[in-house]
Amino acid sequence: MHWNGKDSKVFQAQKEFIDTAVIPLIQIDGSDEGFQFAASAADFTLSLANVIENQFKGRIVLFPSFSYTRSQDKQSVFEAWQEELNNASFKHVFYVTSDREWSTIGEEQNIIWTPSVPLDSMDQKMRNSVLEDQLRQLIPIFAKKWAN
Amino acid sequence: MSNNKVSRRQFLSYTLTGVGGFMAAGMLMPMVRFAVDPVLQKKEGGDFVLTEKKIADITDVPERVDFTFEQVDAWYKSDITNAAWVYKEGDKIIALSPVCKHLGCTVNWEGDPAHKNQFFCPCHAGRYEKNGSNVPKTPPLGPLDQYEVRENDGFLEIGKAIPNTLV
Repeated sequence: MHWNGKDSKVFQAQKEFIDTAVIPLIQIDGSDEGFQFAASAADFTLSLANVIENQFKGRIVLFPSFSYTRSQDKQSVFEAWQEELNNASFKHVFYVTSDREWSTIGEEQNIIWTPSVPLDSMDQKMRNSVLEDQLRQLIPIFAKKWAN
Repeated sequence: MSNNKVSRRQFLSYTLTGVGGFMAAGMLMPMVRFAVDPVLQKKEGGDFVLTEKKIADITDVPERVDFTFEQVDAWYKSDITNAAWVYKEGDKIIALSPVCKHLGCTVNWEGDPAHKNQFFCPCHAGRYEKNGSNVPKTPPLGPLDQYEVRENDGFLEIGKAIPNTLV
């Protein structure tokens, strides 16, 4: 499900089945050297999040990405998200990111950290197969978390 | 010749009828056009999409085939990639939609090692037989949709989704 009016109605009606939130975390980097890398990483993370949504449409809600700058305190951001999502009674929350720093915060299993693959130079077919490969590795992570 | 003379009164009534007729037609035409609009509408979704899958390469084990088509959403055009699970049943080619009938996840062939020869939906452990029929006591309530298929020069073409005809 996406975070929009139509899907949220389904979510409210099917809460027992749709119990997982996925939030892409995107770092904004304004510096000359980091700008392009951050943008490319964002592209990858968002594409991956969409592939995950497509695979697990009926069990997850994909939230709009959370963008932050390096100076923001990750711990407090993380806690605020957790609290709000608990309000919405999500049983599982996954954060998708290619920013390594997140993996040191919160429970390890909640953060899906994937090194960013530069997708810019690839054609659509190549992109799809790269993302499919990534997805195949993620399915067991989701399955394991859901099984507990 | 005097019979053919048109009087002022006649002239006026002819012109008024003519102009009035045009105005009435101008109003009625769009209404008629609206009324029959569904008939004139161009059919969408009936087109077949060519895939890169050779007919000869299709086996009796379901295999994922991607196909891409252009979707126009208002002024925004985008390429949509869909997938199908394709296999041969005798000489017949079967293409099943991978969209789970429960809440729309994507199902995988033998996605669960515990259940060979079945489609598996990882979201809520829904299962389908090879022909797409849902396994009772799993969440899905109906069979997987099927795609229309045809051959084009040795390659597979996939058409629109139809209700499962095998179950």
